[in-house]
Amino acid sequence: MATGSERKPPASLSRSTRGTTPRLADLGESPRTPRTPLLRSISSTFGSPGGSFRTEDEYLVIELGSRFVRGGFPGESAPRCTLSFGPDEQRRVGDYRPCEPEYVHKRRKTKRAQAWAHEYELYRTDLSRVDLGLVEDKFERAMREAYAKYFLLDTKPRRILLAMPPRMPHPLMSTVLDVLFTSFQTPSITLVSNPVLVAAAAGLRSALVVDIGWAETVVTAVCEYREVLERRSVRAGKLLSEEMASLLNAQLDRDAAPGATKADVSFEEADEVLTRVGWCKSVPRSNRRTLYFPAREAPVLEEFEDAVESPPPTITIPFPKHTPPTELSVPFASLAKPTENALFAPELTLSEFDDEDLPLHHLIYRALVQLPIDVRRLCMARIVITGGVSNLPGLKARILKEVEALAQTKGWDPVKSYGKASARREDKLRNQCEDREMRKQEGEDTVAPSLDPNTAPNQIPPAAFQQPEEDAIDNKFAQLAVRNGPPPASLVGGTIRGVETLGAWAGASLVAQQRIKGIVEIERDRYLRDGLQGATREKEVSVVAQRQSMGPGLAVKGGERASWTLGVWA
Amino acid sequence: MAQSFPYTYYACDCFDSNTTTSTKRASQVVAAAAATEDEEQTFDPQNPRSNYALYPLEHLLYCEDCQQIRCPRCVLEETLNWYCPSCLFEVPSSVVKSDGNRCTRNCFNCPICISPLVVNLLENADADQGTPDRHILICPYCHWSTLETGVEFEKHTGVYAQLARIANGGKHIPTSKERDKERERRKELEARQRDSKNPLSPSSETAAVETEAREPPSRDDLFSNLAAFYKSQLEAQTPANPFSPGEMNFSSPSAYSRIMNLYSTNTAKKQKRVKPTPMREAASELEGLVIYDPASDSAAIERIKRDGWNSTLSPTQKLAQTNPHLQFADELRPIPTLLCTKRSKRCRSCRHILSKPESKITSTRYKIKLLALNHIPRLSIRALPPTNPPIPSIPGGSTASQPQPFNYNTLRSGIPTHFLLHLSNPLFDPIRVTLATSSTTPGKVQSRVTILCPQFDVGANTDVWDDALSSSPAPMARRSTINAETGQIEAGKIWDKGRNWTSVAIEVVPGFLADLKNVSGEEDGLDEDDDLLEIPIFVRLEFEADVHAEERGLSDSRGSKAERESREQAFWTVVGAGRIAGR
Ligand SMILES: [Zn+2]
Ligand SMILES: [Zn+2]
Ligand SMILES: [Zn+2]
Ligand SMILES: [Zn+2]
Repeated sequence: MATGSERKPPASLSRSTRGTTPRLADLGESPRTPRTPLLRSISSTFGSPGGSFRTEDEYLVIELGSRFVRGGFPGESAPRCTLSFGPDEQRRVGDYRPCEPEYVHKRRKTKRAQAWAHEYELYRTDLSRVDLGLVEDKFERAMREAYAKYFLLDTKPRRILLAMPPRMPHPLMSTVLDVLFTSFQTPSITLVSNPVLVAAAAGLRSALVVDIGWAETVVTAVCEYREVLERRSVRAGKLLSEEMASLLNAQLDRDAAPGATKADVSFEEADEVLTRVGWCKSVPRSNRRTLYFPAREAPVLEEFEDAVESPPPTITIPFPKHTPPTELSVPFASLAKPTENALFAPELTLSEFDDEDLPLHHLIYRALVQLPIDVRRLCMARIVITGGVSNLPGLKARILKEVEALAQTKGWDPVKSYGKASARREDKLRNQCEDREMRKQEGEDTVAPSLDPNTAPNQIPPAAFQQPEEDAIDNKFAQLAVRNGPPPASLVGGTIRGVETLGAWAGASLVAQQRIKGIVEIERDRYLRDGLQGATREKEVSVVAQRQSMGPGLAVKGGERASWTLGVWA
Repeated sequence: MAQSFPYTYYACDCFDSNTTTSTKRASQVVAAAAATEDEEQTFDPQNPRSNYALYPLEHLLYCEDCQQIRCPRCVLEETLNWYCPSCLFEVPSSVVKSDGNRCTRNCFNCPICISPLVVNLLENADADQGTPDRHILICPYCHWSTLETGVEFEKHTGVYAQLARIANGGKHIPTSKERDKERERRKELEARQRDSKNPLSPSSETAAVETEAREPPSRDDLFSNLAAFYKSQLEAQTPANPFSPGEMNFSSPSAYSRIMNLYSTNTAKKQKRVKPTPMREAASELEGLVIYDPASDSAAIERIKRDGWNSTLSPTQKLAQTNPHLQFADELRPIPTLLCTKRSKRCRSCRHILSKPESKITSTRYKIKLLALNHIPRLSIRALPPTNPPIPSIPGGSTASQPQPFNYNTLRSGIPTHFLLHLSNPLFDPIRVTLATSSTTPGKVQSRVTILCPQFDVGANTDVWDDALSSSPAPMARRSTINAETGQIEAGKIWDKGRNWTSVAIEVVPGFLADLKNVSGEEDGLDEDDDLLEIPIFVRLEFEADVHAEERGLSDSRGSKAERESREQAFWTVVGAGRIAGR
């Protein structure tokens, strides 16, 4: 696999290339993962004792995304509103153009010299290209609509639980907090980061959260409600809709009369096609090296691939805004191509990618490899795929399969290059895989599959390759667990497994419903006085003295805090 | 913008002068850093931010205490009552939230086109044989009906309550109580099955056997399972919980030792517990854990392939649903009508009430409404036809005689065009007005603008009677004329004047669109609305008013001998003069 062109890992991780597996403590030292130091200073200053439950407090739950804001009430499974930031939402008061009958037949001119779909974004994290005033305007208008049209509150003050991506730039955070504190007079805002909430909405405490969002895909390893590692790639919704637009343009041009102007579908059109009829092949292309698949599976795959339907199915897509209005017939198979190109980029070799645009399976695999072995064991069996794009049918299955294939070929050794030995190693790996496959199919497994990773159904457990002594622990562990611990199903690890989540908003709704207190809670008075600078430099606060706790990232409401902190956003 | 030409927008500068946070707003700090040294920048109507600051005069309120315009952003709102806009039923505040802010009677909107749905009686051929009537909701506009999703109602009233119990296809939707009961029942069943088997066999296996016959859980099911799971987990914790996460040692070489530690302490204490104490994660579907199953995705892919575009939903249709996580048309639910509110508005800085509607739902009147148009002069613009015969001396008669209406949508580049700025004064005091604008309009298409008489007086809004009684027409000499030969308008003089209004001429030379096309090298280098001729005009008023005239009521302010004070008011306006014609 790619070797020479790989970027040099940070110091703490390169230590692991000498053979030892990175541990959580290593991550804490790494300059690239500075957000969650694992050696927390347990300071008694912050753990104020007791305090009464403020059961009378009512909450609003708001999730902030780069293209949508969702808002609603705790304990409800879905938000009351999902507000977007299209150009129609940005018009002046009294501009009723969208209501005009001919409006639906006109394709909006997009602003020249602007990035694709720029005007549909609330913000972007690259602050050099953000007008914060405009972000404030947009967010304020959206929240005003949410309050006036969907919340319909009485005058009682409402606290806000704000779900936000981790590592939000501070100026953006202040802009959002300014609006909520001043225009909506909320007495306090609790910030919880999306990956933790996504895990909570899957019923998990540890997970590998793959958030395929708009501008980027963020892979976050969460361990006990705490982010321990994060990797990002620009292969996400924006790129995908651009790919879809170019596919549609090509198809429209092919059908067009000669001499017609070049098709230029708008973001809205591309996005609608993507969300309505876009899909993803759940099985990777068969031209992969056979190593990816155990020998006995391969023929089945070939069959699947070769089962050509005739005539090839097509989808007819109306384009009322095209000149002239038209209906386009697109081969169904081609509607899976944008996903393929944008997220997996099968045409390119690994050495052609930067760190910023890794295909999703490589991104996930790399995140897993860099995790300490015990955390990896938990995370690989708890891959939670979320974000707007994740709803594309077939995508989750595809990602899981690709990651598994990578794990099979490469194993979990962080050493990436074996030089001349690598061929021999791959042979060895393949033999191991086939052996296991054989044993499995011959019904050799008598031990419970979910307890023994070596015989998990349909899964190859690469984590166990290097540390066979784990099995002993597992067994002892399982025995203990059965006697008096949690059900064994909640301890599964070591195999690639996907878990469904209800998403960050639902997670926030659950957390607020249970009156669980976040680490980052900002009081209005303090914020108005000091702004974000008022936060203590401590990145985390001990929750030891909290009355009840779910974990370091979340704690059941305790008393008032003497000071506050920005947690992962510090 | 899409208002018909000509139009005027007023800018509220509330967010530039916002000083609520002691630390400056993040947006301002950055803007200040980027801004050049010239303080008074021309208001740029092309800046996307302007869309959030500009309002038609009718939309603005006025705070008499602060003596400032108040736009929707600088007021605080308080809900007075809640009602359904469709059936006008007032909803008590106690149930608003639990009803989801929606009408719980018979009001629904079409999930396809959002028209109001109506209840229809299905034809009942066997009515005499005792077959009960069946009702459906149907859209009179696009003819969508609940028949398409397999939902029928027994009664024509209380449709909301009926719908809440019927899933698409006619199945029963469990209430939350039924859900809890069912969960407990299945949990017990699971536990019994587990006990009767080898203790090492996983619960997932039995669960799988059991769930195979079931439908996959809905989002609501999952959510309530998760909520119940977290609740039970939190309840099982005690204040003296020895496994508080603070004691978890994350920096230990292996989390295994931590976990092992955890359990060995537990066993060492030999505590007998019914529930496992440490917070754990969900272990089964009944606790909200769902392992990803590719089957539903493959089914969806097959379905798209088979049923095509029309079986799927547009993003707008999805978002309008109470549960937006759906994909196909047969999952649509009628949308219960959102409630509306009557709200009073207060000034955000001094908290005075600016507007308060009558509480009766059917009334559209206001008890209090301090409109800006009663306090701020109305500025309007209209075209002065280019080749006019010398203006008739009767004011107002000039344009009426023009046979062909001026086409505001085809302003011609490079041709000087004259407009009239008309300013009328709602105040009871005469005002002195200063208008200012930059010589070229901001934006890509630069039009040259000259206000021919930037400073002038406008009479007080006295009674019409006064005007009639003391009618001595204003001296003609002050008025401007068009030079018959050159078509130029004399500068420095007003155009026309009435009791409480004055008009002045403004000359505009619309810019060229063509230049831009060449520069960009593209066929069309213009954005939407780049061809708009919008002129930002800064308006400053100076006048003498009675001190606290408002408090004593406007009516007697005139004859009063009270103290006078001089006041000043300034704001940006944007007048839309038309659209520049291409080529
Ligand atoms: Zn304002
Ligand atoms: Zn109603
Ligand atoms: Zn309809
Ligand atoms: Zn005021």
